[in-house]
Amino acid sequence: MTENPSNFELPSNLSAKKFISKLTKEVDLQIVTQQYTIKTFYDTFDWRLYNANMICEFNHSQIISRLALNDNKKGHSIASLDIENVPSFSQEFPDGVFKQQITPPLEMRALLPLCHLPYETYLINILNKDQKIVLRLQIDDYEFLKNRIQLHPLKGYDKALQKFTSLLQDKFELTPSTYSTVLEEALKQQGRKPKDYSSKLAIKLKPDMRADQASNLIYKHLLQAIHTNESGTIADTDSEFLHDFRVAVRRTRSGLSQIKNTLPAEIVAKHASFFAWLGQITGPTRDLDVYLLSYPQYKDVLPLTLQDNIAPLHDFLIQKQKQAQKELAEKLKSPEYNKQLLAWEEYLNEPLPKKSAASQADQTIFELANQRIWKVYQRVLKEGEAITDSSPAEALHDLRKTCKKLRYLMEFFQSLYPETNIKLAIKSLKGFQSVLGDFQDYEVQELSIKDFSDEMMREQVPANTLLAMGVLVQYLDTKKCEARNHFSQQFSLFIEAKNKTMFKQLFTQKA
Amino acid sequence: MTIIATYNIKGGVGKTSTAVNLAFLAARNNYKTLVWDLDPQGASSYYFRVKPKVKGGSKELIAGDRELDGLIKATDFENLDLLPADFSFRNLDLVLDERKKPTQRLKKLLAPLAKEYDFIFLDCPPNISLLSEAIFEASDLLLSPIIPTTLSLRTLEQLKKYIKDNNLKNIQLLPFFSMADRRKKMHREIIETLAQQHPDILQSIIPYASDIERMGWERMPLGGYTKRSRSVEAYQSLWEELLASIK
Repeated sequence: MTENPSNFELPSNLSAKKFISKLTKEVDLQIVTQQYTIKTFYDTFDWRLYNANMICEFNHSQIISRLALNDNKKGHSIASLDIENVPSFSQEFPDGVFKQQITPPLEMRALLPLCHLPYETYLINILNKDQKIVLRLQIDDYEFLKNRIQLHPLKGYDKALQKFTSLLQDKFELTPSTYSTVLEEALKQQGRKPKDYSSKLAIKLKPDMRADQASNLIYKHLLQAIHTNESGTIADTDSEFLHDFRVAVRRTRSGLSQIKNTLPAEIVAKHASFFAWLGQITGPTRDLDVYLLSYPQYKDVLPLTLQDNIAPLHDFLIQKQKQAQKELAEKLKSPEYNKQLLAWEEYLNEPLPKKSAASQADQTIFELANQRIWKVYQRVLKEGEAITDSSPAEALHDLRKTCKKLRYLMEFFQSLYPETNIKLAIKSLKGFQSVLGDFQDYEVQELSIKDFSDEMMREQVPANTLLAMGVLVQYLDTKKCEARNHFSQQFSLFIEAKNKTMFKQLFTQKA
Repeated sequence: MTIIATYNIKGGVGKTSTAVNLAFLAARNNYKTLVWDLDPQGASSYYFRVKPKVKGGSKELIAGDRELDGLIKATDFENLDLLPADFSFRNLDLVLDERKKPTQRLKKLLAPLAKEYDFIFLDCPPNISLLSEAIFEASDLLLSPIIPTTLSLRTLEQLKKYIKDNNLKNIQLLPFFSMADRRKKMHREIIETLAQQHPDILQSIIPYASDIERMGWERMPLGGYTKRSRSVEAYQSLWEELLASIK
């Protein structure tokens, strides 16, 4: 049996009122309410709810103020909450189904309004001869979009639903639509569409592109990510704006040093120092964001008797983050920052010279990509193989940086390679990188918590807070050692014969 | 999931209005609630304007040929569903008798609904029979309305004895006064004496009232047409007492 459509669009010349009066001639109906409502769609900046097949809408009228989480195709309700103001973060929601549903996709991201739609909504009951409700309808009369009907079937009344659906399709000749089209059309009016931002790199390159032209495209893409995340970073809307901003900066720096000899040396020198400065000024806030995001975990690892004692660390981190964020925002609003970023943008927008001063600019990007990835891959192997159980931490940190360079190169150029294979290659590197990342993160956190305890002691925090932080340092140290111990196992997985063959096949092939 | 049977050996004591009105309150408090109309007369189905008809009748239902979920109808109230009665339910005793372990049957049929409902109210026919035994096995609470008369008192004692004799340890009996008429001296006196003799009788008293009788005319639970009255308050208080007694 095919499923009944539950959403229909009215033709653009048919108002809800006119439709209801026509409908009255066909079925026994009862208008329950009619109200002017404002619908606001919500999602995170990177569309996490939409990606999880959910749409979040807030409907506010004089008598209703309800936040709903709906399935993005059929529109059926996953959870709803009667609430006056929409919270920004999942932890601010009251406990219950809504919070349970929204927390996993949202993670640390803020829920932001996407667009507002004013409409008149009619809630209607369809009755049988016993005056029993057999189907509920919602008819939305929009100011700027086509009007819509949504059917809310009732359990045990499938026949009534089928009969009514046939009436809409055969007699009224209405077209079924999907629930998500309301959001899509509302966004269209703003010149937007769903999923128009993702932190993932998706740069389409052609193998025979000139290397300088391709690298220019990559830099433009990264510059766009910097611009897109800039205001959210300054406003500290959520911690991911700064994270994505920093990733774009780091990728640009990596590009400037790794996509070698495609830009003139003096240009690289001029702009690399600006991006290095950007990396540096954004660091302290990001570090504090990470500590704050890890705070629930910090608390969880403590013995129950110490869990409440760690609270002053949270206050301390909040205060420090606020200060660091303030300083960062000032720098990102400064004329110097704007001047330098504009200079980079202007450079990227200049027409490419017929013959570039840079030695590898005229090469095809495919050749250059192969060459660079293969070279950095060899370096990863060499550095990795040199690491023994007694190697110092620096050796692992150096390897981590080399891996990052390799990862960025593979991501910049992924459109040049067969999709499945390049994804597998990136995945094999990712698993190995995570051990190196953990090792570094736990070490930095361990040292920072130790430093914070010095500062907090001067502020005369209770002894038990310092005790709790001591336990935390011990925990971070254990995790760091665990990551260190996992290194050789993860590295041997990465250098398995099948992976080596895959890297060789991918990056030493001819165009 | 808590299964509550509204039960009394005697008929006409307010079992159906108790099941319907308490289920309405449970649903209004955001609990997913189901009423199962087990009485072939189909009074609760009537109150919800649902046809007293079950595909396959009692035979297929008890045999488990049809999942209960497929027979359930939404009522006009959010969170509140109904499993309607069927005239064939008059034979439920016979049909049960043909099964192995007949008294375990309802419990087994209800088990899959646990993930869907917080409360299930079983609106039971009167008499002590095989069906009532199966109901006792399936239920967590036996909510028993008693009219304040000497006869009702006897039936309460019979029921208590039955529960004791049959060693039904898992069920909690909650008697309460129903259809109490404060104008009648006898009602007032019995309530007073009984409350002392039987401390297990709930404090809430459902009055004999015309607005409850109007349910048959309105064909909906009391709360569907009356917002505030002595009866509404009485059911609200009974609901709160019931909720408090759920362990």
